[in-house]
Amino acid sequence: MTAAASTRHPPGSARGRRTLAALAAARAWIFLIVLLIVFEIWSQIAYGSTFLFSAFNIRSIAVFAVAPVLLGLGQTLVIISGGIDLSVGFTMGFAAVISAQVANSLGAVAGPGIGLLGGVVIALGATMIPGWINGVLVARLRVPPFIGTLGMYGVARGAAYLLANGTTVPVQNSWLTWLGNGRIIGIPAVVLIAGIVILIFHYALAETQFGQYTYAIGGNRQATLRAGVNVRRVTIILYMLSALTAGIDGILYTGRFAAGAPQAGEPLLLDSIAAVVIGGASLFGGSGTIIGTIIGALIIAVIQYGLVFLNVEPFWQFIAVGLVIIVSVLVDQSQRRLGGGRQDE
Amino acid sequence: MERRSVIGGLGLGLAGAATLLSSGRAQAQGKSFTIALIPGLTTDAFYITMHRGAAAAAKALGVNLVFQGAPSFNPVEQVPVLDAVIARKPDALLIAPTDKVQLVQPLQGAVSAGIPVITVDTYIGSGVYQTGTGQADFPLSYIASNNTLGGQMGARALAKELGGKGKVYVSNIQPGVSTTDERTAGFIAEMKQNFPGITVLPTQFNDDDANKAAGQAQSVLARNSDLAGIFGANLFSAMGAANGIQQGGAGGKVKVVAFDAPQTIIGNIKTGLIDIAIAQHPAEIGWFGVAAAYAHLTGQSIPPAIATGFTIIDKQNVDDPAIQKFVYSA
Repeated sequence: MTAAASTRHPPGSARGRRTLAALAAARAWIFLIVLLIVFEIWSQIAYGSTFLFSAFNIRSIAVFAVAPVLLGLGQTLVIISGGIDLSVGFTMGFAAVISAQVANSLGAVAGPGIGLLGGVVIALGATMIPGWINGVLVARLRVPPFIGTLGMYGVARGAAYLLANGTTVPVQNSWLTWLGNGRIIGIPAVVLIAGIVILIFHYALAETQFGQYTYAIGGNRQATLRAGVNVRRVTIILYMLSALTAGIDGILYTGRFAAGAPQAGEPLLLDSIAAVVIGGASLFGGSGTIIGTIIGALIIAVIQYGLVFLNVEPFWQFIAVGLVIIVSVLVDQSQRRLGGGRQDE
Repeated sequence: MERRSVIGGLGLGLAGAATLLSSGRAQAQGKSFTIALIPGLTTDAFYITMHRGAAAAAKALGVNLVFQGAPSFNPVEQVPVLDAVIARKPDALLIAPTDKVQLVQPLQGAVSAGIPVITVDTYIGSGVYQTGTGQADFPLSYIASNNTLGGQMGARALAKELGGKGKVYVSNIQPGVSTTDERTAGFIAEMKQNFPGITVLPTQFNDDDANKAAGQAQSVLARNSDLAGIFGANLFSAMGAANGIQQGGAGGKVKVVAFDAPQTIIGNIKTGLIDIAIAQHPAEIGWFGVAAAYAHLTGQSIPPAIATGFTIIDKQNVDDPAIQKFVYSA
């Protein structure tokens, strides 16, 4: 497929690829800006009130977007490397349940602060298990990512339900619920935490050798191997990072809703993949950016929030998000055709 | 060869032992019935509570209770479980069918195998049984709470809390699920008929995603700053709506009613996030399901429908010891 094309773009010239990826991300920006302008005009005409220049709306959309964004961060790395991680939804639920159980039981003995700390550490540590297994399946045992992570989807789901005794775990830890609902100088804590994680992931992908390897593996695995990169190790780390962001997501969800729900991430999986694709990543690997994924998730959040705000019949939300995905991929394809050589068909 | 015959012999021996055991048990007790309970899904506090009630009745009546189900609420996963249970030939079958139409033929299979069927919580066909009409009237009884009535009770409780005026809306999962649709319809009909001062805004669908339900609540609140109440048609709808209202700075001002009463909702009533819960009585459904099956198996007649009750839980009675048995738990 890409062998001939990609030998012209060996890992060394990752800059060329980054330019293309930047273009792909730019189209997401254009989408978002057009969307905001349309909604603003619509709101002004129909209701005589602003949509965009409302602190309430901005904060609501930001909080709304946190859950799909966090799932999408790790997913972006995995998709850039040419893989996919279907298990993140239930890895999130797995972490949600563990953080609730530990924060409750440890918190009852050692106080809510220690309970929260223990819950976070143990939940994130536990997500490394499904992440590592996913990585080993894909990198060492050469299981197709779609199949391997689908298997882990089931395993994590079952484990989460077992740990929760089949239901949702109520949270009795005031520090954990503060983490989910508190504000620091007016900014929701979940948005701040997501912001820090975003910065770290953006830096790792855009500025480090690890990020270059990630693009290289997705562009041409064989060439990357021949260039002496430890592809297996990088791939395993990518899947562990994917599980890690799912775990952070699960903990924040548990704090926010005061409930550790095994199925917390189930409805979020597809929205997070959609965000990555709208943000300019190719499911064939080799392209995509963290900023693109953030914009993609914001587009979905703005559509879903905005159409309710504008009193539109609810089913239009599905159609609108679906159309954005299709148009987004069409733009991507034509851009590749014009860009020359990087066609994956 | 050698090994195979050994295993074969072992298998024969086991089968023989099992036959001896089961006939011995049947002789010892005279009649030891096995009743199977298949829930809509196994991972739900409602059905786990139903199992608790069924187990209590089974213990009291000296019946074996088998509890088997699928992890999510859909016929594609439920039918194989049903077939496996039929193959084990229980004396009676209690099931919460996951589709009104798609479960008719598979349940007919149970009847053909000589297993009487009672549906609990959900129904097949029209839910009216033993009338001699239609293809789906063969179950002996339908034991459930009336979801339309539950929606009406939610409407009344909310209207009372609001003094009969204000804007409200329903947060629902998705159209097409019989129970949540009935709750929604009951809620809206009651408001329209009896509370002219209440305005019901369009229903929002959240895909059973608390995050989406929260975003929608904030958005509706942003558009209608005079929003007064939300009816959450299930756990995640109510949890999400309550969080959206809290995030939107309208906690306490906008009243939230939750349908169903798992521990999470009870905790939220205590902290004031949720104002009212409409609790079904799943343990009662399980108890009466087993009792009805036992009555039928021992030659008694049973009613074609048994309606179980509701309890309204709010801040005033949430700590009342008499209320605790209505909280969903294993």
